[in-house]
Amino acid sequence: MTVDPLFEQIDPRSPTPLYAQIAARIRVAVAAAELRPGDALPSVRQLAARLRVNPATVVQAYRDLETEGFVEMRQGAGTFVRDVQSDKRASERARQAIALVRRMVAEASRLGLSTNEIVAAVAKELEMRVA
Amino acid sequence: MSHAVEIHDLHYRAGKSFEIRELALNVPTGSMYGFLGPNGAGKTTTIRLMLGLLRPRSGRIVVLEGEIPREAPRVLARTGYVPEQPHLYPSLTVAEALRFHAAFYRTWDWKWAEELVGAFHLDRAAVLGRLSKGEMGKLEMLLALAQRPELLVLDEPTDGLDPVVRRDVLTALLEYVSQQNATVFISSHLVHELERICDWVGVMDRGRVVVELPMHSFKNGIKRLRIANAPTLAGDTPFVVLAREQTDGGAETWVVRGWQAPMHQYFEGVGASLRDVVDLDLEEGFVELLRTFREPTR
Repeated sequence: MTVDPLFEQIDPRSPTPLYAQIAARIRVAVAAAELRPGDALPSVRQLAARLRVNPATVVQAYRDLETEGFVEMRQGAGTFVRDVQSDKRASERARQAIALVRRMVAEASRLGLSTNEIVAAVAKELEMRVA
Repeated sequence: MSHAVEIHDLHYRAGKSFEIRELALNVPTGSMYGFLGPNGAGKTTTIRLMLGLLRPRSGRIVVLEGEIPREAPRVLARTGYVPEQPHLYPSLTVAEALRFHAAFYRTWDWKWAEELVGAFHLDRAAVLGRLSKGEMGKLEMLLALAQRPELLVLDEPTDGLDPVVRRDVLTALLEYVSQQNATVFISSHLVHELERICDWVGVMDRGRVVVELPMHSFKNGIKRLRIANAPTLAGDTPFVVLAREQTDGGAETWVVRGWQAPMHQYFEGVGASLRDVVDLDLEEGFVELLRTFREPTR
């Protein structure tokens, strides 16, 4: 499993708590099938050392993911990705898309951009990607 | 919640100019507690009082459930301390310093000490007086960790070290904390580093603890607001106004503490409009907090 690209967006200066950022990254990876059922997540120790964060932060992220049904913590063995239903994966992807758009819209209003300007820019950017 | 360190109503005075007054501090057991404050705030003095190295005028200090200074020997046997200035004999070699230190601690872990000597690339035969600042910093951390303490008190352990050494030292610290549920009390000016690893923050200024909060409360509660038609008198606000400043075009910027999203209603009630809520990181929050602690606006 490739851990580093998965976690490179962790930002300690963000007001979003680190545990929530870590959990969100794993949720996205599961939703996008970057992480497959049965895949092992890095151990708490490994991930804490790699991200240079408090081990308690990683434990909390894993616990939240377990409560939500994304992973399973097996005593002494580690944390594993569960077989997540495809509709749950789809709804998670939709949730991430909404969160992304919200961040963009908030930033745009800070810059004083109008709705039309935002829509035009998004359409143009997506067109270029497709082409 | 149990506390690894509890300080109540502590008073201490050194000379005429410096004084610690009514100091209260509570470090939850198992937390990583970041101790912030400008130079001269009294952080090192507080740490030295906490460890029984200085005697207070009055007040109560309890560390690992032992009264300081009365039970200091018993407490210090379970506490790892990295002082601001190295306190080792410069004529010893690395190997001798390890043996010397190990003799004081029943819980000393030779296996891990040896592993850390390797991981830190320390030369056993090197004389301490000739070690670089980075090597000395690593050795100090190694000595504190290998005694397997229940409490680690780190006084600017990585300040002034290069990024590679800082990373080595932090990795070893985090490794220890994930194995053992130790409490870490860490004073530093490297705010971004504390922001990554700490779950509690205490801020000290001019001999007093200004604020003590879980990291997420500290960071989430402090915001910068942009307001149009701001009221001249703030009146009864549901949050604490730390600072307010006029910006161009009649708008104002407020820095507030204790912010929660529904509080935007306050502005509608006073005929103002809230244009923007900006998040502050730990460093900005810390700077704003001190600025207002020093010059109260109202």
